[in-house]
Amino acid sequence: MKSDQNDSASWRHLPVVTFLRKKKVFLHLILMAVAAITIVPYVWALSTSLKTRAAVFTPEPQWIPNPMVLVNYMEVFSMAPFGLYLINTIIVVLGVLAVQIFTVTTAAYAFSRLTFRGSNLLFVFFIIQMMLPVHAIIVPNYLTVRHLGVLNTRLAMMLPFFASGYGTFLLRQAFRQVPRDFEDAAVIDGCSGPVFIVRILMPMAKPTFVAFGLISIVTHWNDFFWPLVVTDTPSVRTLTLGLAMFVQQESGADWTLLMAATIFVTAPLLVLFVVYQRKFIESFMSAGLKG
Amino acid sequence: MKNLRITSVFRRSYQPYLYLLPSVIFLILFTYWPVVYSLGLSLFRQSVISPVPVFAGFGNYRDAFQADIFWTVVKNTLVFVVGTIPVTMVIALMMAVLLNENLGWLRNVYRVAMFYPTMIPMAAAAMLGVWLFNPGIGLINYYLARLGVPARQWLYSMDWALPAIMITAIWKNFGYFMIIFLAGLQSISNELYESADMEGAGFFQKLWFITLPLLGPTSMFVVVVGIITSFQVFDLVYVMTQGGPADRTNVMVYYIYQYAFRFWNIGRAAALTVLFLVALIGFIVILVRSMERKVHYEV
Amino acid sequence: MRKGAFLLVAVCVALALGLGSCGDRGSARREGEPGLVRLTFYYPVGVAGPLARVMNTYVEEFNELHPDIEVVPVYSGDYDPTMQKVQTAVMGGNPPDLFIVEISELPTLLAMNGIEPLSAYASPEYLADFFPAFLENSYDEEGELWGIPFQRSTPVFYWNKEHFAEVGLDPERPPETWQEVREFAGKLNRPGRHGVTISGGWDDWLFQGFVRQNGSELINYRERRVTLNSPEAVEALEFWVALTQEDKVAPPHSTWASTPPDFVAGQTSMLYHSTGVLSFLRNSAQFDFGVAFMPGNVSFGAEVGGGNIHMGRGIPEQNRRAAWKFIEFLTTPELAARWSRDSGYVSVRVSSYDLPDMREYTDRYPEYLVARNQLDYASGKMMAPAFQEIREFLKSALNESTAGNMAPRAALDRAQRQAENLLREWLP
Repeated sequence: MKSDQNDSASWRHLPVVTFLRKKKVFLHLILMAVAAITIVPYVWALSTSLKTRAAVFTPEPQWIPNPMVLVNYMEVFSMAPFGLYLINTIIVVLGVLAVQIFTVTTAAYAFSRLTFRGSNLLFVFFIIQMMLPVHAIIVPNYLTVRHLGVLNTRLAMMLPFFASGYGTFLLRQAFRQVPRDFEDAAVIDGCSGPVFIVRILMPMAKPTFVAFGLISIVTHWNDFFWPLVVTDTPSVRTLTLGLAMFVQQESGADWTLLMAATIFVTAPLLVLFVVYQRKFIESFMSAGLKG
Repeated sequence: MKNLRITSVFRRSYQPYLYLLPSVIFLILFTYWPVVYSLGLSLFRQSVISPVPVFAGFGNYRDAFQADIFWTVVKNTLVFVVGTIPVTMVIALMMAVLLNENLGWLRNVYRVAMFYPTMIPMAAAAMLGVWLFNPGIGLINYYLARLGVPARQWLYSMDWALPAIMITAIWKNFGYFMIIFLAGLQSISNELYESADMEGAGFFQKLWFITLPLLGPTSMFVVVVGIITSFQVFDLVYVMTQGGPADRTNVMVYYIYQYAFRFWNIGRAAALTVLFLVALIGFIVILVRSMERKVHYEV
Repeated sequence: MRKGAFLLVAVCVALALGLGSCGDRGSARREGEPGLVRLTFYYPVGVAGPLARVMNTYVEEFNELHPDIEVVPVYSGDYDPTMQKVQTAVMGGNPPDLFIVEISELPTLLAMNGIEPLSAYASPEYLADFFPAFLENSYDEEGELWGIPFQRSTPVFYWNKEHFAEVGLDPERPPETWQEVREFAGKLNRPGRHGVTISGGWDDWLFQGFVRQNGSELINYRERRVTLNSPEAVEALEFWVALTQEDKVAPPHSTWASTPPDFVAGQTSMLYHSTGVLSFLRNSAQFDFGVAFMPGNVSFGAEVGGGNIHMGRGIPEQNRRAAWKFIEFLTTPELAARWSRDSGYVSVRVSSYDLPDMREYTDRYPEYLVARNQLDYASGKMMAPAFQEIREFLKSALNESTAGNMAPRAALDRAQRQAENLLREWLP
């Protein structure tokens, strides 16, 4: 660091170096390299999905498909009901979110605005859920769902996620920031519990709801293990499962078709993400910060 | 009068619990009851050959420990966690620090480019991995060859299959942690850096003495959850290797899955679940304790 | 109290919201108009292609022919999920009327009492027209019939004729013995190209064929004998190790799905794989390739694979009669021949191959006859209770050996010990 101060290194004054430092060229180079490495797999998949079968086997990677064809997407659709998978996914994701918003809001209200015995202990009880996600306890959960008689339904895919320790945690923080005065005023206006939640707390915590909602949607859209275990038929299956079933054929992997299926399964969220990237990233940022 | 008072006290006391009830029902049913249930199941032998449960004491645990591949599975799981988490965190932190500089409009482009893998399912990331790591016509071997690195058999190979899965996991996850760290960085007040600048602190000094300590508390929790999640890696293994070759990529959750849903040995699967939970909880306690201490010292 | 009521209502709404979006429950059979027998039918599809659609067409045709029966086909994914579904349904006391699972699952199905015996329905004349090797996985130890062959295959040997010509081998003459496989592979091997690939994933299945080529077997279900470490098996595995470790002309490991594209890409000159990938190879390969019997040692040898169709235990009498009609429909020589052409599977009926349509087809594509002709040397697939677990033991032994980590004998001894331990109550 000493050399920094006495500027003994004369090359630091060369105009080129000054220019590079000012424009942070090195930073950009590093970032560009990492960004490129991250993007390449997806672009390559996209490119593969638009190729004819023969073009996959060229000795040099062919980045721009020639000829470019859409036939793989059509074939994927004829081979498996991806449209139905999409609908199932949307139902499951929104179903989970709708119930979560209810359970999480009421619980967060209790933890942030009410005082009661055992509240700390109960809160820990909620937090531990984050440490024990369904993957770790898949066997008993599977048996529970079987006992409930809902195996192979969309409901089965949603049930374990109806309570969210994470969501409760996020919203508790958000509700706490609403000043006490608002509640006193509300009570004077005859605005009690539920009405207060709906009229005042929820609107004021809207950014947190949006953040939690986006995270919940992304998580459950991409969920795989639990749906894999509790469903058996395409009529209820979701996109990620449809994709995995697609690879597990007895015959060989057909790369063009596999990549077309992969692109189709990932596209809906990715398009949304690119369009609303600021909102998405901000949501993940704010949720992470509070965490 | 007295009656009314009692009612209101009663209302006051039961009301909070009523608000918690919807969540608590599902928490008990799908988080806490399963733990107890696993314990119970693990004491009985119940499998596809003998569907009627027979009490077996700790027989399932003994079998689990005696199985030839049990310790292979434990080792694979640990290698996966130890190999992915630090690398993911270091890359994420480096990128976050770089992105925290003033980079103009390109900054958004970088953020999107590095964060988008968070948006795709792990199963889809696995599919991309299978394609890129193909030994014959995969992109990775092609470019490695161009760099003069000999081709690897990747997913076909006992030595390289797990690293291939780990690389896929790092690729998929680092963007998420980068965003979390970036959020932490942005919450650090600029004044601290300015005064450091005045004292002539260099880039690394600022990183070490300001950024990292202040990042600690905000990101600790996210990192803990990340570690726990990585212990439960399943999708990548299921899609990329099915645990092979020769169980070199078989990890704990996949192993439990095999026993439960392919071999239908519910007793053994439950015993493995209990062992896994004990290890996981133990690990969390140690981790949180040690991190707490560190954070207290530094803040 | 108002708040309490609000919460209660909200919980109900939330639950209704979830319940309102239930999927199918597979219990449709209980309702329906009187006189109509409704059958649920779970089937996996193991081979790529729009086979689910093909199957639906067959079912529609059957339903039109039988106005009093309605078969409801349920595509259930791969073999494993289908088995999982059947297991769940049987345990829940509501088995599907009809289902297809992987043929080695028979002992498991019997252990959980999940299927109906079929001897009362199948006449000797009907059974006589099935390829005997395909029927081997249909009988239990006492000779009772439990399943009817439907989607069935064997592994075959593929070779790249261009590569053969390039290294001076006769492109029309595939290797016929293990020794020749080793010689040819040595000549064909190049940097970035393997001489031969024995596909992973179902390598236990392929290995069984090698053991049979060597004049032995791994598991004899009827006599309750497990011999994973017989001298013949050890020798077969030593041959694999010679290819992968000594000569280094074969990859030590691979996956089932990616070796056919590797063959298409010219990354391997010879390939052991199921007959089920023939159509994929024909549609994708830019070069001429051949299909042949798997090369022999003591003799030629192969083992069958695929799925049998079963009837669920304890379904009502009228469902059983209707289910049998459907089984008969799916296994007529005509439909078996059609299914073979649509899917690439081998037709299960001998007389299918005398039908005019089928003759025309096999004249045009004689390579589709290879798997059928190989049946003369084929045996049933090994099976035992808890087969899935034994399979993992065996695969682990194979993989450790081909990687050079364990000697074939030691590896197979270990697998044998693990299997004996698992089956201690079943073995005599």
